[in-house]
Amino acid sequence: MGFQLPPITIPITRTTVVRYAGASTDFNPIHYSDHAARELGFEQVVAHGMLTMAAALRVVTDWVGDPDEVSEYFVRFINPVLVPDDAMGARLEVSGTVTAVDDKRVTISIEATCAGQKILGAAKAVVRRSNG
Amino acid sequence: MPINAEHAGRRYPATKPYLVTSARIAEFAAAIGDDNPAYTGEEPIAPPTFSTLIAAQAWGALFDDPELEISLHRTMHADQRFRITRSLRTGDLVSATATIEKVRIRGNTEMITVDVALTGADGEDLGSAISQLIHNRQAS
Repeated sequence: MGFQLPPITIPITRTTVVRYAGASTDFNPIHYSDHAARELGFEQVVAHGMLTMAAALRVVTDWVGDPDEVSEYFVRFINPVLVPDDAMGARLEVSGTVTAVDDKRVTISIEATCAGQKILGAAKAVVRRSNG
Repeated sequence: MPINAEHAGRRYPATKPYLVTSARIAEFAAAIGDDNPAYTGEEPIAPPTFSTLIAAQAWGALFDDPELEISLHRTMHADQRFRITRSLRTGDLVSATATIEKVRIRGNTEMITVDVALTGADGEDLGSAISQLIHNRQAS
């Protein structure tokens, strides 16, 4: 209980968001156009919540090895990841803590921050225990 | 009348079946920066959040529903849950059925919970993607 998973850092640049737009077919312009993002009140382009969600789960799947073990995954999007138009982009810091274990599954709580701000709230993944 | 609590329970027709391919899985895994070997090779599985591609097609029905008067460009994603019965894999033909679960309205903001059920070609339950969307209605 309380076991900490190895943390990961995920760079998110303009290239990352454009690539995710293509792969996910989510072409909402707030994810590539500063103009569109500003119309909705953001300083600049924001990463897709689903990109952040997908990328953050790697803290769990890197640890369990087989992503097929994931049976449930929840996140609340509490702050946007702003993606500057520079070489660094944004850096998402992700950590995971085991919060519950039983015979069949392990529950992991996930924290994700960017520039010191919490990005995901109440994030948790449930993984199946294949070999007890 | 635009979207309101009375739309809860509205279910849309299933989307056209989506064929999961190795190429799409590889593109998606690369886009999320995940090099897990399960996503490549002879019999790849899809990353756990891959079904968002299919679920998003099902959301289209809400944006296309003239009665709801909601626009994608005024919509933000508040939370997301995936329930996964098994990983999607190459060759799966997946249909998605969107249901409006719940609608709450606060001023110009509409909070919409959408449940998208994923079903295989033979009716197999492939899990679901449940989203809370926030729509900001332009003050008229």
